Amino acid sequence: MSTSPEAAVRPLPGDLAMWFFILAELAVFGLLILAFAVTRLLHPALFAEGQAALDGSTGLALTLSLLTGGWLAALAVQRVRDDRPRRAAVLLLAALASAVVYVVLKLGEYAHLTRLGLDIEHDTFFTLYWILTGFHFLHVLLGMAILAFLALRCGQRAYGPGRCSGLESGVLYWHMVDLVWVLLFPLVYVLR
Amino acid sequence: MSVLSLCWIGLALLSLATVGFGSAGSGALMAGGVLVAALGKAWLIVDRFMELHRAPRFWRGLLLAWPLAMAAAIGLTLALR
Repeated sequence: MSTSPEAAVRPLPGDLAMWFFILAELAVFGLLILAFAVTRLLHPALFAEGQAALDGSTGLALTLSLLTGGWLAALAVQRVRDDRPRRAAVLLLAALASAVVYVVLKLGEYAHLTRLGLDIEHDTFFTLYWILTGFHFLHVLLGMAILAFLALRCGQRAYGPGRCSGLESGVLYWHMVDLVWVLLFPLVYVLR
Repeated sequence: MSVLSLCWIGLALLSLATVGFGSAGSGALMAGGVLVAALGKAWLIVDRFMELHRAPRFWRGLLLAWPLAMAAAIGLTLALR
C-alpha cells in the first residue's frame, strides 16, 4: 500500500463555485449535444448533406488551437506555483493568441457558410449547427476575456504559490470549453 | 518534458487519429474509433489539465462521467440508424 504524499487525495483546484458552474455548463451542452445526435438519427440524409458542407481540416485546426491554449494555460498555473508569475503571464498571452487563431478560423467558417446561404434558417442541420457551435463560440470569447484578465493579474504578481485559486478557477473555465469541444468536434465534423 | 506537454502531444495525436478514423469510412468500427479517441482526449483534459487525477473521487467521477455519457449517447444514436 502506497503511503507517499504523491498518492494522497488532493483538494479540488480553484473555487468550489467554479466546479458547480462547470457542471451546470456541461449539463446545458449535454442537452444540445443530445438534441443534435437524436435529430441526426431522425434525419440522416439531411445531416450527411449538411456535414458535407463543413471542412474537416478546419475542424482539426480549430481543435488544435483550443487544445494548445489549454496546454499553455495549464503550464501557466504551474509557473505561478513555482513563483514565476511573469512567465505565467507570457504563457497566458500565448494561450490567448492560440484562442485568436480559433476565433479567426471560426469566423472564416461562419462567413463561408453564410455566403453559401447555409444560415441558421437553412435547414434543421444548420439550425442545430449554428446554435451548438455559436453557443460554444460565445464561451470561447468569454474564456479569452478571462485569459486576458489572468495574464494582466499575473503580470502584476497578484498570484503566487498558495494564493492562486482565482487563477486556477479561470483556467478551469478554459479547460471546460476544451472538454466540450472534444465531443463537439467529432459529432459535428467527423461522424457521418 | 513535462507531463502537461506529453498530454498536449497525446491530445494532438488523438485529434489527428479522429480525422483519420473519420476519413476512413462511416462504419461502426470507424465511429467507435472516433468516439474512443474523443474519450481519450476528455480523460487527458479532466485528469491532467483540470488536475482531477488525485482529486476527490466524487468530483473526478462526475467530470469523467460527462464525456462517457455523451459518447455513449452519440454511439447509441449511430447504432440505431
